[in-house]
Amino acid sequence: MSVPILKQGEILIASIQSALSDRELVELRDELADRVGRLRSRGVVIDVTALDVLDSFATRTIRGIAYTAKLRGAKTVVVGIQPEVAFAMVQLGLSLDGIATALDLEEGMLLLQRWPK
Amino acid sequence: MAQLGDQTQAQLLMRDMGLTSQNIERRRQIVGLEPQDLARIAAVKDLVLGHVEELTAVFFDYLASLDESRPLLNDRVLRERARQFKREHLAAMVQSDYGPSYVEQRVELAILYGKAGLELRVFLAAFHHLLKAIGALVLKQFEQSPLGGFDHFISLKKVAFFDIGIIVDVIVFDRERVIRQQQDAIRELSTPVLQIRERLLLLPIIGVIDTHRARLITESLLKAIRANRAKVVVMDITGVATIDSKVANHLIQTVTAAKLMGAAVIVTGLSADVAQSLVALGIDLEKLNTVGDLQGGMEEAEGMLGYSVVSAGTAPAAIQT
Amino acid sequence: MVVLSDITISIEREHDIVAARQKGRELAARMGFSGTDQTLLATAISEVARNIVSYAGRGTVVLSSVEEQGRRGLMIIAEDHGPGIADVGLAMRDGYSTGGSLGAGLPGAKRLVDDFELSSTVGTGTTVTLKKWLR
Repeated sequence: MSVPILKQGEILIASIQSALSDRELVELRDELADRVGRLRSRGVVIDVTALDVLDSFATRTIRGIAYTAKLRGAKTVVVGIQPEVAFAMVQLGLSLDGIATALDLEEGMLLLQRWPK
Repeated sequence: MAQLGDQTQAQLLMRDMGLTSQNIERRRQIVGLEPQDLARIAAVKDLVLGHVEELTAVFFDYLASLDESRPLLNDRVLRERARQFKREHLAAMVQSDYGPSYVEQRVELAILYGKAGLELRVFLAAFHHLLKAIGALVLKQFEQSPLGGFDHFISLKKVAFFDIGIIVDVIVFDRERVIRQQQDAIRELSTPVLQIRERLLLLPIIGVIDTHRARLITESLLKAIRANRAKVVVMDITGVATIDSKVANHLIQTVTAAKLMGAAVIVTGLSADVAQSLVALGIDLEKLNTVGDLQGGMEEAEGMLGYSVVSAGTAPAAIQT
Repeated sequence: MVVLSDITISIEREHDIVAARQKGRELAARMGFSGTDQTLLATAISEVARNIVSYAGRGTVVLSSVEEQGRRGLMIIAEDHGPGIADVGLAMRDGYSTGGSLGAGLPGAKRLVDDFELSSTVGTGTTVTLKKWLR
């Protein structure tokens, strides 16, 4: 598993450290789906600060994570999308409609903690 | 020469201009420098090397006869450096090696001319004068076969035009750079991102929005969101003259990008006319959070951030001292 | 147009996609592209390289520094000998996909660059050429 997943209370934090291959992204998706159910997590934070590219596949996989987590009762926040990456994503025609975003990990955690139970 | 890191100014300029070894090779092809030219140049090498001082003097004496070259000649430091560069140039010109280090020397000299404000036409006239002097030397050596002398001179002249090509490009590139910098400065002034309160940015957009400007607006907004840790942005488009489907799409992209970074965008200043024409065009503005005017937008933004604004006169007595 | 230098990256596994876009970003940075443009280029490379892996299995991505009419640019050529695209017009339509992606791939990549060319023959393969010019 190349992406460490930390558990902090009811929240899971997946902190992506470096560029991921498609396979690693899919592994992350499956691993998070599994843990959300096992640990009864209420929220998932995906930290993409270290990613310099979010292409259509990565975006689709992140959407997949968020929808799966939702079905299992957890809310997902994507944090740390860099300005250049956000720009490239909209040029490419991608968005994360319906998924919460925040500037960084700290903001993402705040967002989840304020979320009504 | 000013050192920037471990690269000289000339090396940085070469990189910016794309003067790579492939480009330099292409330049040699363009002036038609061929192996036979190199052989001819080798044949007059000692002749030119034996007259470097004299030829340098020809170039500078000619410059001295022109008022226009005063800025260069009156500055002792620049003049001496230019002289030294010209000596080196004459020596290098006949070494048959016209690769990156030769070009670097030419670029260095062009930077110096630019710094001294030496006009291109003045340089060209003096350089032509110098070539004439070299031509006279070569023809004299080939007194017995004038045609051979001519061929040898033409080979050298190819190098000279190779040099001129570089010097002209450096000077033109430098001028264009000034224009580009000014354009950038104007654009930056035209898309200010203002921090109104902690975590609240105001982005007033005025004038015509084309693809290029839309990109600059988005880029500067996204950088400002990160720098100011903004959570809410009020984008006021009162000053945007016309909004067609293309402009609307640009605005939607800007809003979407801000959202990806975790900031909410409130759009204000959408006039009734514009709103109606957008509806008529069938543009979906569902994604935009619009509020009638700037004031309303600011109030909504403050609400989102948890601020409440009260006028001093009606503030509760408890917090008055 | 003159090619000043080029690098060929063979795309055989999905891990090569990451390598290709990293090489692209490095080249773009060396050529003096802005941070945003480096990201746009890296993203475009990712899309066309993935197209190779998803549809053809294997192919190559060639990244070159080029010069044309006094301007310099980065050219990306993604080539494969896969099944080819039957309806190029359809493949370039936003939202269209047969490989299960979002369908942003090719039309999206087109929006990230200045010039875009797609040629494809069924049974022979596909070549996508992208160029972005230094301002």
